[in-house]
Amino acid sequence: MERDQGKANAVSSVTAVNFSEMKISSNPVETLVAFSIGSGIAMAIHDPVGGVGGILNFILPDSTKANGTNPAKAPFMFADTGITAFLKALFEQGAKAENLKVVIAGGAHIMDQTGVFNIGQKNLEALKTCLDGYDVKIHHESSGGTQSRTISLEIGSGRSIIKTFGEEEEKV
Amino acid sequence: MTNLNDIVEQINLLAPIPAIATQIMTKAEDPDSSLSEIADLIIKDPALTANLLKICNSAYFGLPRKVESVKGAVAWLGLDQIVELVLTNSVSGKFNKGLEGYGLGEGELWRHAVTSAHVAKSLAHRYGASQNKHLIYTAALLKDIGKLILGRFVAFSFEKINILVHSQGYSFNDAEKNVIGMNHEELGAMVGEKWSFSEKLIYIIRHHHLTDESARQDLETTLIYLADIICMMMGICSGTDGLSYRFYSDVLKRINVSEKDLQAIIAETSENQQKIEHLLKLF
Repeated sequence: MERDQGKANAVSSVTAVNFSEMKISSNPVETLVAFSIGSGIAMAIHDPVGGVGGILNFILPDSTKANGTNPAKAPFMFADTGITAFLKALFEQGAKAENLKVVIAGGAHIMDQTGVFNIGQKNLEALKTCLDGYDVKIHHESSGGTQSRTISLEIGSGRSIIKTFGEEEEKV
Repeated sequence: MTNLNDIVEQINLLAPIPAIATQIMTKAEDPDSSLSEIADLIIKDPALTANLLKICNSAYFGLPRKVESVKGAVAWLGLDQIVELVLTNSVSGKFNKGLEGYGLGEGELWRHAVTSAHVAKSLAHRYGASQNKHLIYTAALLKDIGKLILGRFVAFSFEKINILVHSQGYSFNDAEKNVIGMNHEELGAMVGEKWSFSEKLIYIIRHHHLTDESARQDLETTLIYLADIICMMMGICSGTDGLSYRFYSDVLKRINVSEKDLQAIIAETSENQQKIEHLLKLF
């Protein structure tokens, strides 16, 4: 009876993570979602042991290249400052590097957008360089191409779902 | 292929934007017209004036006292801002709806339109087109007007379009043209003709993806294109078409946009987005 009562009270909630934002949660009935990701990348990270997870939704690779924007005020806009702050916040909430399940979605490009203007590719490269420094592996990656993606992370189960128009959902 | 007459007939069914908005657009696009001429046009329309004052008196602008007249609004906010508000207000009802075919929910095309208009305005200042800032703002706002009609036809033919885009390397607008017989740029230009938009505005709507090589030489069209791809890259309400349009690096080089500039514009857009979200709630 008490258990049923508990279930009834556990109203699930969905929280959007906009670009240049990070959200972390340990609420087992919460789902975090980053909608419509283009060249930016949303990283969903979950620690099943610690019961904590989050999404970082960054859009640019390098905080030193954005003239006029102060990375200290918008750390989650960039791969370098964003990932560092994201992992630090997760570790502070009890997550351990060896438990982390990392799922990434994004890094798309406009057709024929090659070389220096391919910010999607640069975002991917910056992300991988940054993760190497922490010895954290990517569990699943849906990246590149010319489609936008949406990724969600269920904090309770640790399951991520990636949706891309015209394709089957990826559940990981 | 769809019967094109079926599509063109839909233009007649789309309620036009108010005549006053077209008049203000035309005046605002002409660098020789005076600001007071535009203010006079607004004053002559009581419904527009009432709506404008309501917007100006909203918490968004935080004016120190209530504005009671168009002149007062112009004095506080400047005529450029007033022109933008009038234009934005006059088309919001059309763009605010969801759009089948393009996979856009309610308000998403509108968010894309308003954000790209603000990015385009910023680009106009950066790249020496300030004298045409109203034209550029309006063109970015209205560039996808053809999608309002083409959406249902895209929905009907989506699988074929999707195959051309993702298996055969077509851009989304080329795939629309191939499968339906018309793309949203051409249809948008036809809407512009029907609604008596200026020739330049129609030109920009027709060429905003720069498929035509001559359009890549035109500064205003290039800036609207650039604003559009920046919004696509940032995923600002991109739908089924996603980022499936062509990139022309030579165009960026021609107007002197470096990699660093592109990143700085994206960063600036991200920083302004919260303000845009508040602005969207006014309409």
